[in-house]
Amino acid sequence: MTDLLQLLFAGLSQGAVYALVAIGFVAIFTVSGVINLAQGEFAALAGLVAISAVGSGLPLLAAVVLAVVSVALVAVIMERLVIFPVKRMTTLVSLILTLGVSTGLKALMLLVYGPNAEGLTPLTPGGFSVAGVSIRYQELWILLIAGIVSLAVYWFYERTLAGKSLRACAEQPVAARLVGISLTKASLISFLIAGTVGAIAGVLASPIFFTSWESGLTLGLKGFVAATLGGLISVRGAVLGGLLLGVLETLTAGYISTGLRDAVAFLLLIIVLVARPAGIFGRSAEARV
Amino acid sequence: MSLEVRGLHAGYGRLAVLHGIDLSAGEGELVAVIGANGAGKTTLLRALSGLLPVTAGTVHLAGTDVTGYGPEKLARTGLAHVPENRLVFPSLSVADNLVLGGYTRRRGPASARAEARDRAMALFPRLEPRLEQAAGTLSGGEQQMLAIARGLMAQPRVLVLDEPSVGLAPRLVGEIFSALGQLRDDGLTLVVVEQNARAAFAVADRVSVMDRGRVVLEGDPAALSTDPRVSGGFLGGGFAADADADAAPAAEAPGGTPVVPRSGSGATRATERT
Repeated sequence: MTDLLQLLFAGLSQGAVYALVAIGFVAIFTVSGVINLAQGEFAALAGLVAISAVGSGLPLLAAVVLAVVSVALVAVIMERLVIFPVKRMTTLVSLILTLGVSTGLKALMLLVYGPNAEGLTPLTPGGFSVAGVSIRYQELWILLIAGIVSLAVYWFYERTLAGKSLRACAEQPVAARLVGISLTKASLISFLIAGTVGAIAGVLASPIFFTSWESGLTLGLKGFVAATLGGLISVRGAVLGGLLLGVLETLTAGYISTGLRDAVAFLLLIIVLVARPAGIFGRSAEARV
Repeated sequence: MSLEVRGLHAGYGRLAVLHGIDLSAGEGELVAVIGANGAGKTTLLRALSGLLPVTAGTVHLAGTDVTGYGPEKLARTGLAHVPENRLVFPSLSVADNLVLGGYTRRRGPASARAEARDRAMALFPRLEPRLEQAAGTLSGGEQQMLAIARGLMAQPRVLVLDEPSVGLAPRLVGEIFSALGQLRDDGLTLVVVEQNARAAFAVADRVSVMDRGRVVLEGDPAALSTDPRVSGGFLGGGFAADADADAAPAAEAPGGTPVVPRSGSGATRATERT
């Protein structure tokens, strides 16, 4: 029982990180049909920026803010340079373009930060133990901040005019233009959101899961699987998908084999794509974001 | 003139569809543009609202040269386009669809927005009890009403509508067109593109008949409706064909299914017709 609780807790905090990465995929995909393969790199880059900023003497919080802001900026620049100029964007074209950006970012990170994996200083070091379940403070931070960020993103799409205008672009781009919403601005905002949530995921995860130039690959793929579980068009689905994936992974690692941990995500992806391509929490295909 | 189009040429890439369209509509005038499928009616509206680039000619809106304006800027200047197939935002509530209709006026006075909304509600009281409902759950007729109401929320000087009668039962067509007549009486300028010539003739002040990218006839609806060229040639079967269309049960079941076709994700979801 204690084992199960321990695994569940670890799975949820891991899943919360996936959920944030997944939100980034959803934010971009709904607006422009772009699947952003550089989403994981946003997280890795944020982790590395924060680590090196702390290393050069910046206080932890300042380093985290610097990392999130600079990665959000990278995402916005990426949109203007790579996505915006393409006249007729299709999902396939977007895969190739964003794979290029992902590769470029990885090379850049390797060049600047070197090949070693490091962990960011935790927001609160140490941990405690309840009923035999050991909990690190950083894991609580992950759950808390990921929860707040997810709710904020959800609120943005459901309650604000800007959020609703992004949903309008996702659902009926022509009608959105006719009521005066700029699709190019919407795409830019979607990248800003994706960069920000991806960066937050990166700095939250780094103290526990460590960050290297290539950690974006796995994180990005897991985030993509989580988003797909939710149908790729729903923030709620992405969050649930992330948590589910995290829990299933740690349960597999704990009860079956650590080696199978990463296989879970892809097994799940195949099952969902074959059996329920609209996602397992799918409301209807109509309801986007 | 609220809307003045001179020598308008437009098309899709190398395919020229419009060959010098002249069209004008004064304040408080309802102009119907009719023509068979493929005459270029939808292309004309797409060019007017900036969805398609104008390759030659000019468009003036209330005296301002708006040729070459994009759709966002045109919406702000005072042209609202109610697109073909309604294109409401399906997962958003009716109220949110209306709010987004007023997107270009979001920094304007709240009283003007409230007034636009009250007028739209008075015009289509059916929408009032459905404000919190997702727009995709409305029937085809209600979606058309919502699409028009959304256009009105932009507080336009000129409202252009693309086939508002498509797929609707005759009773609803009548309801929609009498609402358009009421808007005209309130002083709005309307350009309505229609295949349903009978419905359009009933309310129009003037009619332009399009054929293969040109305006071939223009005039008073009473005179044109008896013109053999209209009933025979340019409508591809004309009034007789419309009678058949009216007889067919349209996608307007009670509590019915939405008739807006949904296509997959991806960048191009526009319904492109000529």
